[in-house]
Amino acid sequence: MKVVLLTKAAVPNVTAVRIDPKTGTLVREGVPLMINPWDRDAAEFALRLKDRYGGTVMALSMAPPAGKDALESLMGMGVDEAVLVSDRVYAGADTLATAYTLAKAIEKFAPDFDVVVAGEETTDSTTAHVGAQVASWLGIPYIYYAIDAEVNGRSLLVRRYLEDEGLIETYEIDMPVLVSVQKGSQVPRDISLVRKLEAKGRVKTFSNSDLGLPAECVGLRGSPTIVAKVFEAKLPQRKGELFEGPPDEAARWLAAKLREVGVV
Amino acid sequence: MSQQNICPEWPEIRREEYRGVYVYAEHDGNSLKDVSLELIGKARQLAVDLDGAEVAAIIIGGTDAMARELVETGADRVIRIVGEGLETYNPVRYSMAIAQVLDKYRPEIVLIGGTKRGRELAAYIANTLKTGITADCTELEIDKASRDLIAIRPTFGGNVLAGIRCPQRRPQMASVRPGVFPKPSRDPTRRGEVISERVDVQDGRMRLVAVERKVERDVADLPPVEKADVVVVGGRGLGSADGFHLLVELARALNGTIGASLMAVRAGWAPHTRQVGQTGKTIRPRVYIGVGVSGAVQHIVGMLESKVIIAINTDRNAPIFRYVDYGVVGDYKEIIPRLIELVKAAPKPTPTEKQPV
Ligand SMILES: Cc1cc2nc3c(=O)[nH]c(=O)nc-3n(C[C@H](O)[C@H](O)[C@H](O)COP(=O)(O)OP(=O)(O)OC[C@H]3O[C@@H](n4cnc5c(N)ncnc54)[C@H](O)[C@@H]3O)c2cc1C
Repeated sequence: MKVVLLTKAAVPNVTAVRIDPKTGTLVREGVPLMINPWDRDAAEFALRLKDRYGGTVMALSMAPPAGKDALESLMGMGVDEAVLVSDRVYAGADTLATAYTLAKAIEKFAPDFDVVVAGEETTDSTTAHVGAQVASWLGIPYIYYAIDAEVNGRSLLVRRYLEDEGLIETYEIDMPVLVSVQKGSQVPRDISLVRKLEAKGRVKTFSNSDLGLPAECVGLRGSPTIVAKVFEAKLPQRKGELFEGPPDEAARWLAAKLREVGVV
Repeated sequence: MSQQNICPEWPEIRREEYRGVYVYAEHDGNSLKDVSLELIGKARQLAVDLDGAEVAAIIIGGTDAMARELVETGADRVIRIVGEGLETYNPVRYSMAIAQVLDKYRPEIVLIGGTKRGRELAAYIANTLKTGITADCTELEIDKASRDLIAIRPTFGGNVLAGIRCPQRRPQMASVRPGVFPKPSRDPTRRGEVISERVDVQDGRMRLVAVERKVERDVADLPPVEKADVVVVGGRGLGSADGFHLLVELARALNGTIGASLMAVRAGWAPHTRQVGQTGKTIRPRVYIGVGVSGAVQHIVGMLESKVIIAINTDRNAPIFRYVDYGVVGDYKEIIPRLIELVKAAPKPTPTEKQPV
């Protein structure tokens, strides 16, 4: 079977973001890039399909050239091929334009795919949009929050977990299908350093002259949404009283505060 | 803007044909999701800035009682979608049905609750209509001059807020997580119209074959994290499930409940339903008490609107101390047991004795 693995290969490590102690503002410069962590769950899910049913897994990312490293890491996990689509005209894409570009790349580089696997969401934007939108552009059925899958003839039996309802649902879905994998649901296999080294130079990079997409459908121009403003959250004024001392006194101090507030 | 400059995949639309603020009303067969009612309340506010636009709810199936509740909460109109293939939830069929109805009624704004199912449907619907969608908004505003929705959401891992606009396309779509906006009260005198829309979605490519209940074991029989006046929230700093039991005892003594950081949930000390933060619940209790929680932005955004914020942490430089009213630097294992004794020994406040905060 032919599996396409979608990945956002270069997201800023948002937990490494610092606040400038002098100005109190966010320091965005120098934030390290990394593979979207939830995509490793998706990679494990894709590779397990391959382990059980044979075939190949092709990773696909729309990212700046820096995304190459993450794709090599995925090859280190066992992904067979990696395609990076990268072009200045793709910059500023919202999720609709991103999904359009990815869908067109799938049609071009893996037209005979059976399953597209995506991560639940990215850690920088956290929209969870792109999976459903790629399915919509491709005109195929889709399912979110998958935890495992089995092939049954021409369809895929997918179990998915709805955390907020405490339900596990099983769907039988005709292939081709897009499956978005519940974050944290897999135990991603290790990246073999040997295989990662072998992957050097094997990531295929294509630009828009290869894909030939209309400029008005990609990047900022192909995006119905625009970021009108970016700002830091205003924090409500807080008292900011700190107590440091022996535990007995600390407990008494807190109890007094709780009494003031009216809950004791 | 002339059609030449826009993507040929986008159907031509006329913005001015789109009017009204619509909410997708989700239910589980028995009752409406609270988030849908919260969004009806928000839709009413937005409608004011759109010269009194109509507020409508779209519901698939549902009951007469649900339609009444939507009207009494603020909907002028309830559109009930019925049709073959819509008896049970199905992402493709549900999204297609909703997109068809939206294409017919042409609202200006569509709001969807950011439940797991809502998030699954929202982006597919937007893509079907070739319009923009903004996920997990924490505030929604109208720019009156342009009638554009300004959808505000945390981005960059919650470190900054972005105001997103969709100037060219309609409807403008947004999803909002449960608990972000207050649930309006019901007004039994409100009247509205209920319309039935038949939609047939012929799509047999995906079939629900089994449903099992997987209930995560809760730490204690305490109210949900979003429904208590006092919430004691445990983080990774507790070090063990035993630490959580101590917090349960404190929460009981304070007539409150228990919450958890993502790391505490990951450790298996509390179920997902109790997670506070960007990817969990938004809570605004009278008192939030964070114990062994470092105060990562992704956590803070879920509790920032608490009236009083208290934290106990061994590290005096922990980021959470930047957000507190009262902070104690110390080991919770030494402080909490004593605090529980003091709280238990204190006379219980009756509601009338409670001080306004
Ligand atoms: C996209 C994204 C979404 C996220 N969503 C959420 C979310 O919804 N909710 C959430 O909570 N997190 C979320 N996170 C994770 C978040 O970034 C932090 O990793 C997490 O909140 C940290 O949890 P913690 O405070 O329990 O653990 P830590 O950061 O490890 O903090 C533990 C704290 O305990 C203190 N401590 C240790 N021992 C003691 C003791 N004996 N007594 C008192 N204090 C002690 C330590 O000093 C430390 O400050 C998200 C992250 C990402 C990238």
